[in-house]
Amino acid sequence: MSTDLLEAPAPSDKDPAVAERRRLIQAAARGSLKRRRSVALGIRILFGTCMVLTLVPLVALIGYVSKRGVGALSVAFFTHTPTPEGIPGGGISNAIVGSLLINGLALVIAMPIALLVALFLIERRGPVANVIRFGADVLTGIPSILIGLFAYAIIVAHTHFSAYSASVALAVLMLPIMIRGDEEAMRTIPNELWEAGLALGARQSRVVRSVVVRGAIPGLVTANLLALARAVGETAPLLFTSIGSQIFSLSLNQPMNAIPIVIYQDGTTAFKDLQQDAWGAAFVLMAGVLLLSIVGRIFAARLTRKTR
Amino acid sequence: MEIKEGSPRHLLAQRRSSRSSGRGYAVVLWTAAIFFVVILAAIIEGIVSQSTRAFGHFGFGFLWSTAFNTVTNQYGAGPFILGTVVITVIAMLIAVPIGLATASFLTEMCPRRIATPLGVGIDLIAAVPSIVVGLWGLYVMQPVFLRDVEPFMQKIPVVKLLFKGVAEGPSLFLAGFVLSIMILPTMVALSRTALAGVGNLDREAAFALGATPWQVIRKVVVPGANSGILAAATLALGRAVGETIAVTLLIGNVTRITHPFSLLNPGATLGSIIVLNFGESGQLPLLKSALFALAVVLLVITFIVNVGGRLIVRKNRLFRLP
Amino acid sequence: MSDTTSAVAARIQQEVLAQGPGSVDLLDAPAAVTLTDVAIDFGPVHAVRRVTFPLAANRVTALVGPSGCGKTTVLRAINRMHDRSGGKVSGSIRLGDQEIYGRDAQPELIRSRIGMVFQRPNPFPTMSVLDNVTSGLRFNGIRNKKVLNEAAESALQSAALWETVKDRLDQPAVRLSGGQQQRLCIARALAVEPEVLLMDEPCSALDPISTAAIEETIVDLASEVTIALVTHNMFQATRCADLTAVFLLDDTDHIGELVEYGSTQQIFSSPKDPRTEQYVTGQVS
Repeated sequence: MSTDLLEAPAPSDKDPAVAERRRLIQAAARGSLKRRRSVALGIRILFGTCMVLTLVPLVALIGYVSKRGVGALSVAFFTHTPTPEGIPGGGISNAIVGSLLINGLALVIAMPIALLVALFLIERRGPVANVIRFGADVLTGIPSILIGLFAYAIIVAHTHFSAYSASVALAVLMLPIMIRGDEEAMRTIPNELWEAGLALGARQSRVVRSVVVRGAIPGLVTANLLALARAVGETAPLLFTSIGSQIFSLSLNQPMNAIPIVIYQDGTTAFKDLQQDAWGAAFVLMAGVLLLSIVGRIFAARLTRKTR
Repeated sequence: MEIKEGSPRHLLAQRRSSRSSGRGYAVVLWTAAIFFVVILAAIIEGIVSQSTRAFGHFGFGFLWSTAFNTVTNQYGAGPFILGTVVITVIAMLIAVPIGLATASFLTEMCPRRIATPLGVGIDLIAAVPSIVVGLWGLYVMQPVFLRDVEPFMQKIPVVKLLFKGVAEGPSLFLAGFVLSIMILPTMVALSRTALAGVGNLDREAAFALGATPWQVIRKVVVPGANSGILAAATLALGRAVGETIAVTLLIGNVTRITHPFSLLNPGATLGSIIVLNFGESGQLPLLKSALFALAVVLLVITFIVNVGGRLIVRKNRLFRLP
Repeated sequence: MSDTTSAVAARIQQEVLAQGPGSVDLLDAPAAVTLTDVAIDFGPVHAVRRVTFPLAANRVTALVGPSGCGKTTVLRAINRMHDRSGGKVSGSIRLGDQEIYGRDAQPELIRSRIGMVFQRPNPFPTMSVLDNVTSGLRFNGIRNKKVLNEAAESALQSAALWETVKDRLDQPAVRLSGGQQQRLCIARALAVEPEVLLMDEPCSALDPISTAAIEETIVDLASEVTIALVTHNMFQATRCADLTAVFLLDDTDHIGELVEYGSTQQIFSSPKDPRTEQYVTGQVS
C-alpha cells in the first residue's frame, strides 16, 4: 500500500461511465435548482406568515385590553369598593385585597409542601418517586375547573363558600409547577457541595437547609413566581369556592371577591359602568401576570448564567 | 443528582439515617410525599363521590343521553361531549399546522438572534389569563365574526355546508377559533423543543449534499422529530380540552344539540355547562350530582389525553439514547 | 529532544522513507481546488488567515495541526458550510475555474460537487440504508429508480460496503455498526459523484480496526475523487496522504495560519519551517 501512494493515477476520471453519470447528475442538479430554490423561498414566506399570524392576535389583545382598561383606572378604582350601576366612584378594592389574600394563603400552603416533595424526589429513587413524578405531571394537565370542584367537594360541601377553600384549590394548582421547578433548581447544585457539607459532620437536614436550598434560591424563586402567575389568573376554581362578594371583607372564612371574579361577573353584564370595571380589572390582572412571568424568567436566566 | 452506591454521601446517609436527627428528616420527607399522593387520590375521590348519585340514577346511558331539563330532572352528557369535541377539533385544525409552521420557521429559517426573543415573546403572551382572552374574544372577536367572518365562511364552497343558518352571537366556530389562539403558544413551544432535538449533525449532512432548507426540514428534521411533534400536538389537545372560562364566554349556553348542525350554532362544552349551571344547582341535588358526573367525564378525557401525551414523550426520549 | 520524542520522530521518518523516493512533480500536479489568501472571521473573532494552498487532483491532501488551529474551519469553508453559521470567508477559493464564493455561485450546486464526511457517523436515522445512499441524488432532483440504484451500488462498492449491505438495503441505517455507518456516509457522499471529498477527522469516533479499514478505503478512493483529510493524527497523515498542509496557531494573536505545505514525505522528513519541525517532532502537541 505504501508504494502506491506516489504512483500518479490519471488525473482525469478513470471510468467513462463515471464521467457520464457525473454529467447526468450535474445536469439534474442544475435543472432542478431553480424550482427547489423557489419552493424553499415560498415555504419560508408561508411559514413566516404563520409566525406573524401567531403573534398578531395576541399582540392585538394586549393592546386592546391596555387601551380599554387604562381608561378605567383611577385612585377611586383602587381604593373604593364596588358601587351599583349608575353611581360613580366605585372600585375594586375588595377584589384586589381578596386576590392578594387568597393567593398569599395559597402560596403559604403550597411552598413548603412543594419544597419537601421536591427534596424527596431528589433524595430517593425508586417506584414511589416515579409515581409522584408521574402524578405531578398528570396534575399539571387537570383542568382548573376540576380542581375548583374538588375543593368544593371536600370543603365547601361540608361548610360553606369561603376564601380559604379557594386558597386550597389554588395551592393544589400551584403544587406541580412548584415541585418540578424546585426539583430542577436543586438538581443544579453539584454533588460536591452536598458531600462537603456532610463530610464536615453536619446533620443531613442542616446541610440541606444551609447549603442546597440557599444555593438554589434563584431557581426556587422562579418556580414559585411562575406558579403564582398561573394561579393569580385562574377564574374557574374561584367560582366554586370563594364565589365573590360585594363588600370589603378580610375574613378567610367567608366568601371573598377577587379580580378574576370581577372580570367574569361584570364583563358579562349589560351595564356600561360595570363593564368598565371589568376592563380595568382585566388590565390590572394581565399586567400583573405578565410582570410576574417576566420577573420569573429573569431569575431563571440568572440561574442558568450562574451554573454555566 | 442521584446518590451513588458507595459514594461518600450514600455512606453518610446510611449512617445518618440510623441516628435520630437523620430519621426525623426522612420522616418529614416521606410525610410530604405521601401527603401529595393523598391529595391526588382526594381529587379523584372528591369529584367521583359527588357524581355517584347521578350515575346511579341514570346509569351509563348518561354518557350519550341528550336530555337536559331541570324541570323533569333529566340530564345527560351527550351534547356537551359533542360540543367539547367540535371546538377542540376546530382549535386543533387551526393551531397544529400554524404552530408547527411557526416552530419550523423559528428553528430552521430564522437567525437565532431573532428567533430567541420571538420565542420568549410567544411564551410570555401565553401567560395571559384565559378570562382576559375570553373577555377580549367577547367584545372584539364576536362582533367581527358576526359582521365579517361568518358571512364570509358562508360563501366558501363546500365549507359553507358547515355554516348554515344565521349567526346570532356566541357560536361553536367563534369559541373554537379563540381556543386555537390560546393553544397556539403551547404548540409552538413544544414543537420547537421537538425540532431542536434533532441533532445538528443530521442537518449538516443534508446541507452538505446540496439540499435546500425546505428539503432539509421535509426529509430530515420533521421525520426525525416525528414523535416529539405528536407529543406536542397531544399536549396542546389536552390544554384545549381543559380550557373552560374563555370558552364559556363565547359558546353560549345551549343544552341540546340543535338541528340542523351548524358551526354558527351556539353550544356548550362539559366545562361551560358546569360553570353556567352550578349556581342554580343549590336547590337541585340531582342537577348538582349530574354536573359532577360531567366533571368525571371531563376528568377521564383529560387523563387519557395527557397520559397519552406523556407516554409519547417518554418513548421519544428513549429513541434519543444512541 | 527527549528520548520519546526523538523515537517518535525517528519512527515517522522511517515510515516515510519506506515509501520510496520522493516525487517532486506532486507539487506541480493539476489542482482540483485552489485556496488563495483565505481568511475566515466569525463576527469580531478572526479564526484563520493567510491560507494559500491547493488540493491536488486525485490525491489525498492532509490538513494537520493541533486542535483549534483552524483546519476544520478551512475545510468547511470549501463547501460553504459557514453560510449557515455566520462565518465570513474572504480571499479566493476556486473549484477548477469557478469561484466558490463568486457572485453567481450557487451553494447547493457547489455542495453537490464537493462532498463532506463528518467526524461522527451521521446516517439519517429515519431512512434505510438504500435511502441514505440515494438521499443526495434525490435532493438534487434525480428520481429515476434505475439511475438511483446503479449509483447506490457503485458508491457502496467504492466505500467497500456493498458486500455487507447488499442484502440489507431496506433495513434502517442505524442498525449498522459504527465503522459501517461511516462507510455508509462515505457512500452517501460519493453517490452524487463529487469532484472533491472533504473528510473531517472521519475516524475519530471509530475503533482502531475500523480506522485502519477506512484509511485503506480513503487511499483507494483517491483515484476517483480529490480528497482533503483533516486529521490531528500525524501517523494517519503519513499513511493516507500524498500531500500535507500544516496549520498552527500564531503565538501572539491566536489566529490559525497555514505554516507549511508540501509532500507528506518532505513535511515529515525535512520540514522547511521551524514551527513545522517543532510540531512534527512532537514538541507541540
